[in-house]
Amino acid sequence: MNEPTVKLRSLAEAASLIKDGSRIHLGGMAVHNHPMAFVYELLRQGTKDLTVVSHVSASDVDILIGAGRVKRLEFSYVGLEEFGTAPCFRRAVQSGEIELSEYSEPVAFERFACSARGMPFFTTREMIGTDLPRVNPDIKEITDPFGSGVYHAVSAAEPEWVIIHAPAGDKYGNILFFPHRQLPEDLDLTASRTTRNLIVTVEQIVAHERVKQLPYLNLIPRFRTTAIVEVPYGAHPFSCLHVYDQDREHLAAYAQAGRDAASFRRYLDEYVYGVTSHDDYLDIIGAARLARLRQVGGAL
Amino acid sequence: MSRIEATVYEVMAAAIARELRDNELWFLGMSTGPQTILMLTRIPIVAMNLAQHAHAPNSWMLVAGWVMNPDVSKVPTRMESEFGTTLGEWPCEAYNNSLTMSYIAARHEIDVGFGSAAQVDKYGNCNTVAIGDYARPRVRLVGPINQPGHFSLFGREIVIIPHEKRNFVDRVDFVSGAGYLDGPGSRERLGLQRGGPCMLLTDKAVFRFDSESRMAVLASVHPGIEVEEVIACTGYTHDYVPQSVAVTPSPTPEELRLIREVIDPSGAMLPVRAV
Repeated sequence: MNEPTVKLRSLAEAASLIKDGSRIHLGGMAVHNHPMAFVYELLRQGTKDLTVVSHVSASDVDILIGAGRVKRLEFSYVGLEEFGTAPCFRRAVQSGEIELSEYSEPVAFERFACSARGMPFFTTREMIGTDLPRVNPDIKEITDPFGSGVYHAVSAAEPEWVIIHAPAGDKYGNILFFPHRQLPEDLDLTASRTTRNLIVTVEQIVAHERVKQLPYLNLIPRFRTTAIVEVPYGAHPFSCLHVYDQDREHLAAYAQAGRDAASFRRYLDEYVYGVTSHDDYLDIIGAARLARLRQVGGAL
Repeated sequence: MSRIEATVYEVMAAAIARELRDNELWFLGMSTGPQTILMLTRIPIVAMNLAQHAHAPNSWMLVAGWVMNPDVSKVPTRMESEFGTTLGEWPCEAYNNSLTMSYIAARHEIDVGFGSAAQVDKYGNCNTVAIGDYARPRVRLVGPINQPGHFSLFGREIVIIPHEKRNFVDRVDFVSGAGYLDGPGSRERLGLQRGGPCMLLTDKAVFRFDSESRMAVLASVHPGIEVEEVIACTGYTHDYVPQSVAVTPSPTPEELRLIREVIDPSGAMLPVRAV
């Protein structure tokens, strides 16, 4: 058999696939598994006018908003959980800088499941009584043809590009997950089935033979994957579940830095624009700190 | 056991526990900011455990929607994040890790949820989206998250907020959780046959919603709190103070023992108790 296409790319090569004005989904949920190394590279490349279709976002989206790269956001939550509100999102919305389309959380999740099922829309009753349909023209009324009443119709997520961060994969783009997964990984798997434009950053590239020994952990088969990129600690300062924990100190510092434009600019200069590569970023964060975030045996 | 007075957090946990019945499904989500995490996450977890120990052994709790019936006495650290190692290491009966967890709610199988908000109005409507005009808000909040479903799909909602004047408004700026909307009949007109807020709990008092007017009424003040103090930090302008206001029952000695010795022996959930 001829060798399958090698899909291993550099971070810069993979990020250059995203053009200005793209409709993207960044994986992860809340304070876990966001593809941060990829986000930083998008920032360095100057990619702009993005529509981000998300569900429960944190500073992955907040930093893009703060740098002025997001035109439209479809979402349910942008915040930092224990670290507080998302500072740039808050500021940008208060000054009317971005277009919002917001949904309840299960509806925002279901938009991806709907795309994965190949359906254009689904119906729900959970937002009835709220002001969401009043401010979001994408939530439309529809009557059940079987006679059970009025529902809200919501469109499928339909991202052009999905970028997720995962534990491991091979150079052909097969992606391995741990046997014990949580909702953030499950949501990423659902999102991976919504497009054939899929970029996966992984903690580590493993041999193809390893995948064949663990086919039951290969939950994204390579035909789905456009590019795979190796970026250890690629979700920092968020956790990559079962691999390392959140960098609490860093997230608290981000929340603080985002509070005004000048300190946010200093944050960007220090951790993004003044950084030449992901390795350079890891050096700035420091080996000792990263080592302490590791969770040895976390998936056992 | 020694006669140590209950802390306000223990009073709140016991008050919640008495709202919970056997054979129910309870859903607790996550929240933003340390104060809200204490009020909306840690107190209800203790309350649900208390109810299970005291009178509701067949109830079933979904913490963060996915950790089912965790034994919080074995929790080494405080729960701060919805997923990850902290919660993932809790001993519990089952996990629900897939996004199909939403379908349990869509099927109306959840009996009780817990919610908080930056604003709650006299009809129990809640706002986690924006203060001021939606398009150009004075303060943009985190977003609706799961609040819409708590008020439209669940059997009833317990709303927990810090008792500050600005949190109590006549009308929320944005409805992300539909309480009794514009008053009697509002929910029914929209086809919301069940659900809505049953209790508004703060660190000073309990409010309930009048079955006719659908407006919040001061039901009890916590031990040691004067009605005047509650009035001073409540922003409502309707007449919410009845002729006589009860005192929120303190936890019984048995409830206190369960909280302190069985459920939260390390104090990981409730802040260090006043001794």
